[in-house]
Amino acid sequence: MICLQLYWSYLKIGFCSFGGLSMIPFINQEMLAHHWMTMEQLSDIVAIAEMTPGSLGINCATFVGIQVAGLPGAIATTLGVMTPSLTVCMLACHFMVKFRQNRFLQNALYGVRPICIGMILAVAVPLGQANYFLNGAPLWPAVVIGAAAGALLLAKRSIPTVILAGALLGLVLVR
Amino acid sequence: MLDARRGLPRPLCCFLLLFKIGLFTFGGGWSIVAQLQREFVDKRGWISKEDLLDIVSVGRSFPGIMVINIAVMFGYHVGGVPLGVIAAVGVAAPSVAVLSVVTVFYEQFRRNIYIARAMVGVRAAVVPIILSAAAGLRSIAIQEKVQYGIVLGGFLICLFLPINNILVVLLGAAAGLMLRGVRG
Repeated sequence: MICLQLYWSYLKIGFCSFGGLSMIPFINQEMLAHHWMTMEQLSDIVAIAEMTPGSLGINCATFVGIQVAGLPGAIATTLGVMTPSLTVCMLACHFMVKFRQNRFLQNALYGVRPICIGMILAVAVPLGQANYFLNGAPLWPAVVIGAAAGALLLAKRSIPTVILAGALLGLVLVR
Repeated sequence: MLDARRGLPRPLCCFLLLFKIGLFTFGGGWSIVAQLQREFVDKRGWISKEDLLDIVSVGRSFPGIMVINIAVMFGYHVGGVPLGVIAAVGVAAPSVAVLSVVTVFYEQFRRNIYIARAMVGVRAAVVPIILSAAAGLRSIAIQEKVQYGIVLGGFLICLFLPINNILVVLLGAAAGLMLRGVRG
């Protein structure tokens, strides 16, 4: 029963949100309404989600699910938050493939593709601010690690390698 | 590396690679784009750059978690509904596993100084990874110089206006239709 409630709650969160930090208000509302989480725990989970692989939505769902109802709870919440992707997005993909050769769609994509690159670049700016600066001052170890990661990428190293190198350099350089 | 050439069936190969990608996706999930590009465009040729970029733009503008959206659409693209589901489960599984452990050791994890230091390094590495994704997609998104204007417009809009991603994608579509005509 509790698992159904958890599923339903995270289904709503999934459908209302567009990923990342925009989920916070919805998660907040649902969690406090059911007394599944305190405000403190919520800010902790945001920090933890940042520090662990995967998206905030999945990480938060797992955290709450386990705390409320153990592993079955975690499975219920995770499935809930994944449901929009598995339904709406799958359908969208189906139609996209079907209308691939359509001129109208082709011309629209002529604009959509570059703007998507613009969106990706725009994500890098606040991330750069958050990761390379601390209270307005440059965080030199982070800047050095960023440059090293860039060099590794240019040398065609794999992304897991670059992430692990970042972690090791962080252990050595950050004080 | 994991590969079909080693005799792994495609669904298993897909699951394992998406699991690996999920394990190394930090910082809001954008590095999934760079990782999919390396594994499935460059190394295996399962999907073209155009298709990947279209999936990214659509996945970004649909409700739900972006990483899962992109994984589902990628899976569907290379192998229909079954692979869509497998890809989604694969990319989510590492988060669920890691968070299950973290939740149990919640207090200790929160205060561990070494974890905090390593994470400064990981976060510092994520920004160049995201930039490499953008650079890698450039060749396919841009055929004419005028499209750099759209890149710049999208960049500025996302940076300074608090508008929904769907609107940004629709603006891109409108720009494309204005430049190329509604019927081509």
